[in-house]
Amino acid sequence: MIKQLVPANLKEALEMLSKHNCYIMSGGTDLMVQKHVSTGLLPSFDKDVIYVMNLKELDYVKKDDNGNIRIGAATRFTDIERSPLVPEIYKIVIKEIASNNIRNMATMAGNIANASPAGDSLVPLVLNDASVILSSVNGNREVLVRDFVLGVRKIDRKQNEMITEIVLKPQELNYFYRKVGARKAESITKVSLMGGYKIENGIIKDLRIAFGSVSIKVVRSLENENKYIGQKVKELNIDSVIEDYSPLVTPITDQRSNKEYRHKVAMNLLRKFLEEVKGGRNE
Amino acid sequence: MEIKFILNGKQVSVDVSPSMRLLDVIRDKFHLTGTKEGCGEGECGACTVLVNNEPYNSCLTPVINIVNKEVITIEGFRETKAYRIIADAFAEMGGSQCGFCTPGMILATYAVLKKNPHPTEEEIRFALSGNLCRCTGYQSIVFAVLKASEKGIEL
Amino acid sequence: MLPNYKTSVKKVDNEEKMSGMAIFTGDIRMDNAHFAIPVRSTVSYGKLLKINVPSLPKGYYFISAKDIVKENVCNIIASDWPVFPDKEVHYKGETIGLIVGPDKKICIDLASMTHADYKELEPVFEMKNSYVHKEFKKGNPEVFKKASKVYSESFETGYQEQVYLEPQGMLIWMDGNKITIKASMQCPFYIKKAVTRTLGCSEDKVRVIQPAVGGAFGGKEHYPSLMAAQLATAIVKIKKPIKMIFDRKEDITFTTKRHPSKTDISAYLDDKNNILGVKIHVGIDGGAYIGCSMVVLARALIAATNAYTFENVDISGDAYCTNKVPSAAFRGFGSPQSIFAIEMFINHLADFLHVNHYELRNKYLVKTGDITSTNGVFRDPIILDKLINRAMEMSDYQRKKKEYSKPNSYRGIGMSYFLHGCGFTGSGESTIINAQLRIKKDKNDIVTFYTSQVDFGQGNRTTLKRIVVDTLGIPEDHVIYGAPDTDETLSTGPTAASRTIIIVGGLAAKAARHLKEIWKDGEEQEIIEPYVGPSYIKWDDDTMQGDAYPGYAWGVNVIEISVDPITYEVTIEGCWSTYDVGHAIDERILIGQADGGLAQAIGWAYLEKEEMENGVFKQRTLSDYVIPTMMDLSKMETEFIDNPFPYGAFGAKGAGELTFAGGAPAFCAALEQAINRKVNKIPATPEFIMELIEHGN
Repeated sequence: MIKQLVPANLKEALEMLSKHNCYIMSGGTDLMVQKHVSTGLLPSFDKDVIYVMNLKELDYVKKDDNGNIRIGAATRFTDIERSPLVPEIYKIVIKEIASNNIRNMATMAGNIANASPAGDSLVPLVLNDASVILSSVNGNREVLVRDFVLGVRKIDRKQNEMITEIVLKPQELNYFYRKVGARKAESITKVSLMGGYKIENGIIKDLRIAFGSVSIKVVRSLENENKYIGQKVKELNIDSVIEDYSPLVTPITDQRSNKEYRHKVAMNLLRKFLEEVKGGRNE
Repeated sequence: MEIKFILNGKQVSVDVSPSMRLLDVIRDKFHLTGTKEGCGEGECGACTVLVNNEPYNSCLTPVINIVNKEVITIEGFRETKAYRIIADAFAEMGGSQCGFCTPGMILATYAVLKKNPHPTEEEIRFALSGNLCRCTGYQSIVFAVLKASEKGIEL
Repeated sequence: MLPNYKTSVKKVDNEEKMSGMAIFTGDIRMDNAHFAIPVRSTVSYGKLLKINVPSLPKGYYFISAKDIVKENVCNIIASDWPVFPDKEVHYKGETIGLIVGPDKKICIDLASMTHADYKELEPVFEMKNSYVHKEFKKGNPEVFKKASKVYSESFETGYQEQVYLEPQGMLIWMDGNKITIKASMQCPFYIKKAVTRTLGCSEDKVRVIQPAVGGAFGGKEHYPSLMAAQLATAIVKIKKPIKMIFDRKEDITFTTKRHPSKTDISAYLDDKNNILGVKIHVGIDGGAYIGCSMVVLARALIAATNAYTFENVDISGDAYCTNKVPSAAFRGFGSPQSIFAIEMFINHLADFLHVNHYELRNKYLVKTGDITSTNGVFRDPIILDKLINRAMEMSDYQRKKKEYSKPNSYRGIGMSYFLHGCGFTGSGESTIINAQLRIKKDKNDIVTFYTSQVDFGQGNRTTLKRIVVDTLGIPEDHVIYGAPDTDETLSTGPTAASRTIIIVGGLAAKAARHLKEIWKDGEEQEIIEPYVGPSYIKWDDDTMQGDAYPGYAWGVNVIEISVDPITYEVTIEGCWSTYDVGHAIDERILIGQADGGLAQAIGWAYLEKEEMENGVFKQRTLSDYVIPTMMDLSKMETEFIDNPFPYGAFGAKGAGELTFAGGAPAFCAALEQAINRKVNKIPATPEFIMELIEHGN
């Protein structure tokens, strides 16, 4: 018998999770689609479900003593976007996620846990070294988002854990972001790119690149990035950077696009970003 | 389980699974059929209702998520002055054809104007882009929202 | 500036639709209704050996071919589509039976446990087996042999899904011994005929009533007949009300679509580059059953020369049988496919001849009195030149065309001309449809009239009523006109073919005039007005010769776009249109048709991709099959230029389908300019645009 678990508070939720193998339902915008059966019928679950959207203690955006922004797992995209504490780059990404209605319902924590290759909030989270706090009756642990997502719909969550918090670490970077979908609104991403950079005295102090929707998870290579850091920006060779990333971008052909397009556009976007790094708003 | 919330201004209670779609609760338990199902996956916005004055896709909302919140469907909204203004603007600009998207579109319009009483055409297109219409090509709906915002008001 | 529609009246259904009070099929409360869940073929083509039905709990039924009462035929236009297949299945998803019972979840489970054994046969997915061929000629195509040059090209268009916002749905119940149906539909009498035919029952045993209908666009012209025939078969057996409402995914995956097409055109030129004539072949993919494909093909062929007159014409076409979901009606009914082809072709030909597009097109533009490709006559005044000039003026076409021709502008502007023949093809209105309209007056001088026209958003309930009100010159609230009910109305024909205003509107005006002539205050009076077509319309369906339509509506679209050279995404920058729909009775309603038709056509041109893979669509949800959102379209400016048509009500012609015809070619002409490549295929998705830019033509 599938159980529907409705915890009154976080403590109770963690206790429930320690006893049940659960789907964790927050805004419902992914899970309710995946488990939908037919009009007028209940969604069909193959294991217990715990509902966490009403946990008031997980609905917040706050700044901690280290200057990090902490977002409760039950905070909706709309509230994240409205918060003056949240770095602008996240707001830019959020504005292009799904629709107004969906952003009123969905949470960023849910978007992370859903671990879709096309999950838009994963891109800035990975690029900016954000992490999630996983809580259980045994305590908390912090995991970088880039490590938390293991593959398509695979995450590093133990059965007794849930995401309780997202930790954003504001960066001093100039950003570039483009999401490419099938249309201008309400679209599932075919390919996206976020770049971040910092130039001082003509020297690359930081250069980060993250691609969405072109592999089983967000593509970011610290190894590549470290090669560029310290270089004179003038000497950064765009073609060789593109060559570095080309093999890492391994998209698929599906009902939304094809791999040739995704790869080509990913590289075009990378070139565009790098041109901006070289010619653009430096320092 | 017993789910309590405010529906169109009245405290209500219904005994259903927490996983039941808000859309099914509204249509099947309360027999309010102005809220439509166009796709069942959050794409079309025909199922739009207001939850604490913000538009939600009721087809993706597990009913537990609206406990103790205020839900307004078109049946409740049509009793308000704001409805009259918006509906008249839709009538005048030809913003409703087959009518299947219309209740959702009208509620979403209210939410837009509530937040931004004098939106530009671009802001309207952005804010309503989650509500699909296949009849109008949207121009008349954009005009209707502008018209309603012109009348300004008790929104 | 917001528009001010001086010619418009309040739409009669505004309030019920905006307030949510309108009752659509799925909103009808019938607590004891059973559910019907289709069991679908899992193979594209095969012999149906045996259907293995699990043991059914009491009160649950499996309805299939063995339950057919009289004739296992779904009456569409051709009679080849069975209600339930009995020997062979012809496409994946074909309904081989229905599980019917009181609990929906149990029905779904039972349906998923029902499997058929098939002997699979080799399916055909390509357009190679013709099941309908048509051809006709004008002038003397023998002169083609004297041509000094021949220029040829091919064009392709893809599937399109209607995406009416309300999915298909039907409710059926017994009212005494009468089968009663409410459904999301376009044509109540088509449904009635489908039921009486499969059951072999008399007409008085079936009643079809129209509830509110949430969009149709052709998609609810024929498919509801199949649902009705299936549910009627079921209700005869189980005698309980039954509801069948499709989920969106089911609707996209299994109901009829716009025909994909492939059109080959050759222009034969003399040594001075005059066009001696054109040879056109249009192929359309009809899917597993003919259904209405022969009529779609006919319209595609008649429209193949579009708004141009060529002296010598050789036109032929085939509808091909494939093991795929049948294609059927969709706004335009075949003509947008061939209009896309000829519009692109004539621009390409101009490029080939190094002449200006505009000049070449205008040289062959249809003029009043010209002979049509079927050897009929364009009798009524044609004001296409006015439409063109005004559209160019509104859009600043000439300046922009020049400006964007600079290399790498990634911006373009395109223009299309188009026509739409209103009403049924040829003499169909007088020989097949035979519309009759009943109008009556009671002792209180309240007038009621009846039609079988469904208002699924076009506004015809408002306009038809207005035609009668204005003709009689009585207050609006003295005229009653409701949604069709086959027990009350005679058939005034299907809601299709842009015939509602030009044909039924004309008939309503005539009936009202006759009533006015015999009007006696305080007396009950009734008139049954039969349709009488213009006597000059002569048409031979076998040879495709004569006047194909009672009248033609005309239009011009200009579309401006930009292309992002990094992502190949398109932005619509502006749309301008001019139309001749005769006299525009209600401008607000017509603008609704104009904007909506163009939006749908633009979607077809570049966004809406429906690919077939092994006999099933790859895009099966609204997140994968994307239609335009508000952000994908631009402002649209539209004007109607008055040109009253003598046979329509108040001079009106048809407008519903016309507005779809020009979007794709205008869009693609703009795209060609923006990327400096030829576009011979739609949808022109960013993936395809990338291919064109990278690899050329």
